[in-house]
Amino acid sequence: MSTLAPDTRIACHECDLLLSRPEISGDQVVYCPRCGSRLISSHPNSVERSLALAIAGLILLLPANLFPVLSLEVLGRHQQQTIFSSAMALYEDSLPLVSLCILLFAILVPCTKFLLQAYLSLALHLRRRWPGLPLAMRALHHLDEWSMLEVYLISVLVSVVKLVDMAEVHPGLGLYSLGALILITALSSSQMDEDLFWHQIDDLSSPAEDAPSEGARHE
Amino acid sequence: MNNWRHSALAQGLIRCHDCGALWPLQQEHTHCPRCQAMLHARTPDSLKRTWALLLTATLLLLPANLLPIMRVTTLGQGEPSTIFGGVMQLAHHGLWGIAFVVLAASILIPVGKIIALCTLLLTIQRGWTTNMQQKMVMFRVVHWIGRWSMLDIFVVGILVALVQFGNLAYIDGQAGAIAFAGVVIFTMLAAGTLDTRLIWDRHLQENASGSEV
Repeated sequence: MSTLAPDTRIACHECDLLLSRPEISGDQVVYCPRCGSRLISSHPNSVERSLALAIAGLILLLPANLFPVLSLEVLGRHQQQTIFSSAMALYEDSLPLVSLCILLFAILVPCTKFLLQAYLSLALHLRRRWPGLPLAMRALHHLDEWSMLEVYLISVLVSVVKLVDMAEVHPGLGLYSLGALILITALSSSQMDEDLFWHQIDDLSSPAEDAPSEGARHE
Repeated sequence: MNNWRHSALAQGLIRCHDCGALWPLQQEHTHCPRCQAMLHARTPDSLKRTWALLLTATLLLLPANLLPIMRVTTLGQGEPSTIFGGVMQLAHHGLWGIAFVVLAASILIPVGKIIALCTLLLTIQRGWTTNMQQKMVMFRVVHWIGRWSMLDIFVVGILVALVQFGNLAYIDGQAGAIAFAGVVIFTMLAAGTLDTRLIWDRHLQENASGSEV
C-alpha cells in the first residue's frame, strides 16, 4: 500500500510537533527541536548490522542460559545457579508470580527480541516478503523496555557482595556470556534504524508503487 | 514552533503509536494501513489509566516494604529480611556503595517515580505550563530508570537458588517479593500509558489563546 503523509513529514511522538522529514545519512540522529526527544536516527548498513548482532545474540543466549552464572561453596558442598534455576527456585517457594517475572524479563523477552530482530533483518536483507513482518516490528517495539538482562547482571554482582562473607563464590561461564550478551543488546538497540525498517517493509509489500522520493534512504 | 498550529493534530494528522506513520484525522479508530495498530490521536483514557496504575503501585508499596521479601535460615534460626533490612545489613558491613545502589533501586526509584508521574498528571489536569523542557527530562528519566527496580527481585531469585544447604543455611522467598514486583510492573505500565503530548497540548493551546484565538 502507499502511505499518504509519512514520506514528506514526521511528527514527534512526545510532543506532536509536525516537521518535514530531514534527509539524514551515516551516523546521524534527529532530535525534536521543541521537546528534545530522539526522532529518527540513521546508521550505515543498519539492516546488516542488526542481522549480525541478532545472530551473535542468539548464539550467546545459549551459554548464558546453559552454564552456571554463579556457584557457591560451603564446607565442601557446591551449589550452582543458572538464570532458569533462579526463576525455578522461587516457583518452588510458592511465589509463581515472582518466578514468572524472572522467566519473562531475563529469559523469554530477550530471546524473543533477538529472534524477531533476526527474522526482520534477514527478511529485509534478502528482500523477501515473509509473513508477519509488521507484526514482528510492532512486537519488537513494545518488548523493548521489558528486556532486563543488564539489571540481572547487576543483581548477580549485588548477590556476590552479599554472599562473599558467607561462603566462597565462583563466577561461572554463564556470567561472562551474560556480560557479552548485554554488550550485544546495547549495540543492537542503538544500531537499529526503526524508521528505515518500516520503510523497507513498506517497499516489500508494495514493490510496484515504490515511492521514488525514498531513494535516498536506501543503502 | 511553540505554537499549537505546528502540532500534527492541529494540522489534522495523527501519528500511529506503533510505526510512526501519519494519517488524516478522519482515519481515527481504524487500523493503521501500514502496521495494523489501532489509530488514536492521543492514547485513549491516558490520564484515567495512568492514575489507576499509579494508585495500584502506591498501595502495593506498603506490603512491598513492610513484608519480608526473603527469609535467611542459618542453623535452624530463621530471620526474615525486608528490603530496607537488606540495605541496613549491607551498610552495617561497611559496603556503602552497594547499599546505596540497592537503596536507590528498591526504595528511592519506585517512590520517586510515583511522585514524578503524579506531578506530570497534575501538570496536565491543572494546566501548569511552566518548565516544559524540565518536565520532559523528568519523564524520560522516569521511563528509562523504571526497569532497574527489578534488581531486588532478581537478587532474591539468585540467593534462593544458590543458598540451599539444608540445615546449615538456606534462603527462601517471601510474599513481600510479589508486592514489590507488582510495584515495579505497575509503575512501568503507568509511565507507558502517560501520553506526554497531552502536557504540550494544554501548554500550546494556552499560548495560542493568549495571543490570537
